[in-house]
Amino acid sequence: MTRILLHSRVDDCLSAWRSAGFRVLAPSKRNDLTRFDEVHAASDMALDLVLPERTIKDHFFPQTEPLLNYRIKKQAIESDEMLPPQQKRIFFGVRPCDASGLEIDDALFGWDYKDRYWFSRRENSVIITIACTRADDFCMCTSVQLSPDSTKGSDVMLHPLKDGRGWRVVTLTDRGKELAETIASMLQEDASETAPAASVPVKFDLDKVTSWLADPSNFESHLWKEVSQRCIGCGSCTFLCPTCHCFDIQDEGDTYSGIRRKNWDSCSFAMFTMHTSGHNPRNTQSTRWRQRIMHKFNYYQGKFGVNSCSGCGRCTRQCPVDMGITETLQEITNLPR
Amino acid sequence: MGIQEQYRTDAANLLDSGAVKLVIGYGEGSTPERRRPIFIRSAEEVGRLVLDANCIANLSAYLVPEGLLSDGKSVAVFLKPDGIRSVNILAAEAQLNPEQVVILGFNIDAGLANPLPGRKANEFAPLLASLKSAGLSTDLQREADRLEQMTAVERFEYWKEQFSKCIKCYACRQVCPMCYCRRCIVDVNQPQWVNTSSHTLGNFEWNIIRAYHLAGRCVACGGCDRACPVNIPLRLLNHRMSKEALDTFDHFAGESADQKPVLATFRQDDPETFIL
Ligand code: SF4
Ligand code: SF4
Ligand code: SF4
Repeated sequence: MTRILLHSRVDDCLSAWRSAGFRVLAPSKRNDLTRFDEVHAASDMALDLVLPERTIKDHFFPQTEPLLNYRIKKQAIESDEMLPPQQKRIFFGVRPCDASGLEIDDALFGWDYKDRYWFSRRENSVIITIACTRADDFCMCTSVQLSPDSTKGSDVMLHPLKDGRGWRVVTLTDRGKELAETIASMLQEDASETAPAASVPVKFDLDKVTSWLADPSNFESHLWKEVSQRCIGCGSCTFLCPTCHCFDIQDEGDTYSGIRRKNWDSCSFAMFTMHTSGHNPRNTQSTRWRQRIMHKFNYYQGKFGVNSCSGCGRCTRQCPVDMGITETLQEITNLPR
Repeated sequence: MGIQEQYRTDAANLLDSGAVKLVIGYGEGSTPERRRPIFIRSAEEVGRLVLDANCIANLSAYLVPEGLLSDGKSVAVFLKPDGIRSVNILAAEAQLNPEQVVILGFNIDAGLANPLPGRKANEFAPLLASLKSAGLSTDLQREADRLEQMTAVERFEYWKEQFSKCIKCYACRQVCPMCYCRRCIVDVNQPQWVNTSSHTLGNFEWNIIRAYHLAGRCVACGGCDRACPVNIPLRLLNHRMSKEALDTFDHFAGESADQKPVLATFRQDDPETFIL
């Protein structure tokens, strides 16, 4: 049975979901920024974007998150855990790269300790992805073994119809099937053709890259300095990345009380992993950039069997000095064998 | 010969003669419109240099990394007037010796890059004086007027919305030639003077610190504004500060290398209108 959802029924879906207790988030443009925000009507959504500037990661792993509050008394320290709200959410109009990013990060957040903050949000969220029919110069999902219609990380996949009336609905998980049932009356059987997925050229040779990175003799390669010369050491590429997940624990308050928080951290920063002694194991920008590439395409691969990049291209798209993962991996691909 | 060819030849001569050890310029980027900073160390490579109306970044921030100029050798750099002003400020604040900076100056006018005569920062004094008398950007002023017309509460709300988007990526700081501190106050962590959290309050702290530290120092290159990945109109904060420095203290940042930093000097005739 092939079912479709017409654009004209999206508002009905939104009301059905809201009355079922869901908060619905979709790409939208507010205050000169495109990102996932709560929407109340189809007209709030910006579904024509190739990608919103910010990722849905923000809604699973926020830039700052309170973990506990504490009070230091004369004889005791009191603290209360602060857990994220248990809100059922639907993410509508996610792109395949961002959805994949969630699954990539599940590995990290569920590794030796199951991060409650991440997983309680994951378990309460349904991901409705729209396959891409358009890409821009920076998209590179096909270079990292994904595609403009890959289903990784999604519960429901919507494939745009060729005639532009709506989407073909494909449910992928139990959670997705359940959700589709809540709007069953708004779907209709229809075998209309779907639009072709975007064509995204492959930009580098992933196998060559990963084997080069895995060769210890390349750790000190001159390439690292060359490709990172212009890096200014800001955190924009890591903070906009759907898979970057580094954080730092900070106590915010005074001597007697405060809040312990989990804040985003970035391997691009000079302060990243700097020791209390003042020693910095990665004291130049080139060693920090190497860490970013190695982490994504070597260490993560070795530990979890998957690369920590979903090919969204944001790191290049938004870089103030036009750097990014793509260029470095192209340089590695072009090295003489 | 077009400006690009001319400056490639100049760059090659500077490198060949040993007058400079490095040329910092623009090269092609990842799309036809993008230009990226490149570093040229030998005359054979000058063909990679590009100079056209897309070369808008202020490259002077690349002059201050620790150690670059400590060997006393010179570096050539492609600069628009805003970048030349930055060099003056860096010199005035003892961050570099302007004698070590060879300027390949240009401006962009009507979609074209045009050469500016001069090689050392002080040779551009007449140009900078004329920029001062022309005043601050009228385009920016128009945008700023919209904010000035708001009530204080509305303006606060406006900035609250804008700052709430900030993610403390510090791209605005890293790209800015004036933000050369080896350790920014927000990174000083023994003790941690400024919280690292990027919640709305923390973002206010950061953005206000940044704006105040740039008062009378910003050259309006727009680097921070373009770098901000969440599109906070930082240009409007900078402009407000520049306007204050100009109107109140007749200070046009980077006018010359002997200019005194406006917030670090006292003159008998300074207006004190804000002291109650
Ligand atoms: S590394 Fe770059 S392309 Fe890969 S997921 Fe992160 S931001 Fe996207
Ligand atoms: S504050 Fe912004 S506009 Fe001003 S000099 Fe720095 S980067 Fe340029
Ligand atoms: S560049 Fe923008 S988001 Fe980044 S720290 Fe500066 S104001 Fe915040």
